Amino acid sequence: MNDHTPDAATPILEGTDLRKTYRLGRVEVPVLHGASISIQEGEWVAILGASGSGKSTLLHLLAGLDRPDLDSGDVCYRGSKVELQDGGKTNHYRNRTIGFVFQFYHLLPELDVLENGMLANLVPRGRKSGIVLCLMAIVGAVIGAWLGSMAAGDWGLLPLEERTQIRSIVLSGACAVIGSGMMIVLAQMAQAVMFRTRMRSGESADAARATLGDFGLDQRYRHRPRELSGGERQRVAIGRALGSDPDLLLADEPTGNLDEHTGTEILELLKKKHQAGLTIVMVTHDPKVASYANRVVRLRNGRVLADDEQGSIVGEMPLPNERDESIG
Amino acid sequence: MYVALLANRYLTSRIIPWIAVAAVALCVALVVIVVSVMSGFLDMLRTSGKTMMGDVVIRYPISGIPYYQELIDDLEALPEVAAATPTIDTFGLIEMPYGTGDGNNLVETVQVWGIEPESFNQVSEYEDILWWRAPAEEAAKSLPLDDLRLDPDRDRTEAAMLMKDTETGEPGIVLGMHISVFNERRADGTYGFQGGNTNYWMPGKQVELTLVPIKGGRLSIEPESRAFSIVNEFQSGVFEIDNNRVLISLEDAQEMLRLGAGTLYDQNGRLDPETGMPLVIGESPARAIAIYVRASEQYTPDQLRVAASEAYDRFWTKSAEREDRTVKPPSPFRVSVMTWEQQLASIIAPVQKERELMRILFSIVYIVCAGLVLSIFWAIVYEKTRDIGILRAIGASRPGILGIFLIYGLVIGLLGSAVGVGLGWLVVTNINAIHDALGEPAPTWLTISTFAIAAILLGFSIHAAAKGSILRWLLGLIGFLIIGVVGTGLALHQGFLLWDPSVYYFNEVPSEMDWFTAFLTMGGAVLFSVIGAAIPAARAADTDPVKALRYE
Repeated sequence: MNDHTPDAATPILEGTDLRKTYRLGRVEVPVLHGASISIQEGEWVAILGASGSGKSTLLHLLAGLDRPDLDSGDVCYRGSKVELQDGGKTNHYRNRTIGFVFQFYHLLPELDVLENGMLANLVPRGRKSGIVLCLMAIVGAVIGAWLGSMAAGDWGLLPLEERTQIRSIVLSGACAVIGSGMMIVLAQMAQAVMFRTRMRSGESADAARATLGDFGLDQRYRHRPRELSGGERQRVAIGRALGSDPDLLLADEPTGNLDEHTGTEILELLKKKHQAGLTIVMVTHDPKVASYANRVVRLRNGRVLADDEQGSIVGEMPLPNERDESIG
Repeated sequence: MYVALLANRYLTSRIIPWIAVAAVALCVALVVIVVSVMSGFLDMLRTSGKTMMGDVVIRYPISGIPYYQELIDDLEALPEVAAATPTIDTFGLIEMPYGTGDGNNLVETVQVWGIEPESFNQVSEYEDILWWRAPAEEAAKSLPLDDLRLDPDRDRTEAAMLMKDTETGEPGIVLGMHISVFNERRADGTYGFQGGNTNYWMPGKQVELTLVPIKGGRLSIEPESRAFSIVNEFQSGVFEIDNNRVLISLEDAQEMLRLGAGTLYDQNGRLDPETGMPLVIGESPARAIAIYVRASEQYTPDQLRVAASEAYDRFWTKSAEREDRTVKPPSPFRVSVMTWEQQLASIIAPVQKERELMRILFSIVYIVCAGLVLSIFWAIVYEKTRDIGILRAIGASRPGILGIFLIYGLVIGLLGSAVGVGLGWLVVTNINAIHDALGEPAPTWLTISTFAIAAILLGFSIHAAAKGSILRWLLGLIGFLIIGVVGTGLALHQGFLLWDPSVYYFNEVPSEMDWFTAFLTMGGAVLFSVIGAAIPAARAADTDPVKALRYE
């Protein structure tokens, strides 16, 4: 978990007066009408509400996956405003500060279990490899252009009768494009080989193995998501979310797509992580699932209806078929 | 790292990128093959000049250039000049040693060249183009067993170099390979005779050549006819030359056209008071109508043309100052000094323009390439929208997402264009073999194998229908229909002549790869593939994670 100085007074995550309106063609559909929520470190908070109450939208705003309306309030992490305008800071927030678990697992089908588990750790290396690629492209272009000019001149690729300056330049340009492309592809191939030989046995892989192993997936590292059961997929998704050792785990109906038994397994898993100190914010429409949390925030029509410690309001929950008027 | 990993996985885990690679490869191969054949045609036109005429021609028709040997000596002293030779060219009639069926021998119009074989061989590739000469050891291995050149007794190189019949001492003539109607070009490029009858072998047979001397711009009254012994035949590779041209010695040509050395008499009819014969006013030197000049290796034909033109100016000035000479060379303004390319400008220029036009028209292929990659990528990005959402949700940057799909496009462009250039190279270098194969009926084994494959596909289709798989049934049926049509085509194919030498000037399809175009096309294909990938990739990068995840 990321190292931060505990401060009892400052919530780890706070959303104040959050507003969100979706535009469906010409129709504006308000989903959140100034919802506020505050989460302390070490809490397990369940956001409970019927379908369309705005609970998923609230979670997306807290996770920095969606932008609130212009007149909306802010999301603050440990007292600092979270930049939600989708730049480097947002990417860092999404990657390092929070881990997000989706209802439908959302694993990458082309990657195996271990690679999916490592994904959050691979992403920050993108910038460095981007710079390397740009340099390689420039080197390739220079070498290509030089070879092109040599081919046009000394090596006699152009017949003496057709050897003009413009033709030599055009040939050098074409060779520069080819050279640049070849260098990029070579660099990519080298990275792919490096991943296979080094990354899979490096620190990130060890961390991912440890997490996935805790979730009982140690025999499944090489398997693709399509070869797993629903419960296993969700465990991989949680493993991916925890891969970058975040401060917070945000989960959107983590058991919504699972049968009761598998759902319970997942919740027990989360419970274990919570007991180890992980802060969890979980969205659900199911009071039974919400009962795992130590605090429940109830949402209706995009507003926080109640925010209570566990046990005081669960009995007052709306039935799952009691649908809200707005969407979310 | 994840960019390389995902680009690699997206490329290798599905078939759609390979369809894009195939599309790019076919586009590139198409351009490379077409432009290479056209460039090869152009190069063959250019090199055919070297084969028969050197690089530059100094010409003064009809009357010819006197004291040409002095001019040749001057020229050969220049660093730009490798060799020079005098020639005479004119038109004549040749009576062939075979009849037309009505009791008369066949008479044909021919272009006659008078040459000095030794010096002509320095300027052109005269000895190399002689047909009846012993083939090199390596080349002999690939010749068919019935090729008469394998018989050492049929080697007539010496006679052709002397331009006389070595047995009878008669003046010799060398005929273009297509002049005799009995020489039949075979698919492998060698020649046979009608019905395999070696009596149709031309060397040693007699022909009669008739030339019309021209003097002072008027036709002479009496045409000059002489018997020649055929000493050899030649194949320059240029159909127009091989079908029309005969070579005799320069001396014979000069004598028949009255361009040889002689005495110059007074044109006004004055008589010598002592002898009572027409008054001698000087010596008339031998003349050559054209001087063919070959450039030294490091000089272009254009550089040689300038040097040769200057050399002629000096030669003319020098001769004009000689008071002992009655006959003066023609003024430089009346003498043409041209490169082979200039001489053939009416043929070369349109081909050059057509090639450039082809390059421009085929640039559309690049747009097709970009369009193909664009549409394929649009589909891929659409399909991968959810993955993009996931990546964005775990912190992947927009440039990172853009990078995945740009690299994807780059690999498709690079791989496709490399395969296309390889395919183009294979076709271009084997184009004559392909052409010859098309000219022959398809081999029986190929036809039977094709029908066998068609039958297997039909069986596969019926089996799939019985199992209830519509896709396999349809694929099997389409395969059966395509292969069946190909098999039927092969069975019906009796061979056809695609490249008619009389239409296309040369008797072989050009098979030289145009590497300039190949690299240009490759670069263009890579660039346009990346551009085609860039638009959907940018769209992918702009996708908000939540919106992308709603593509569920």
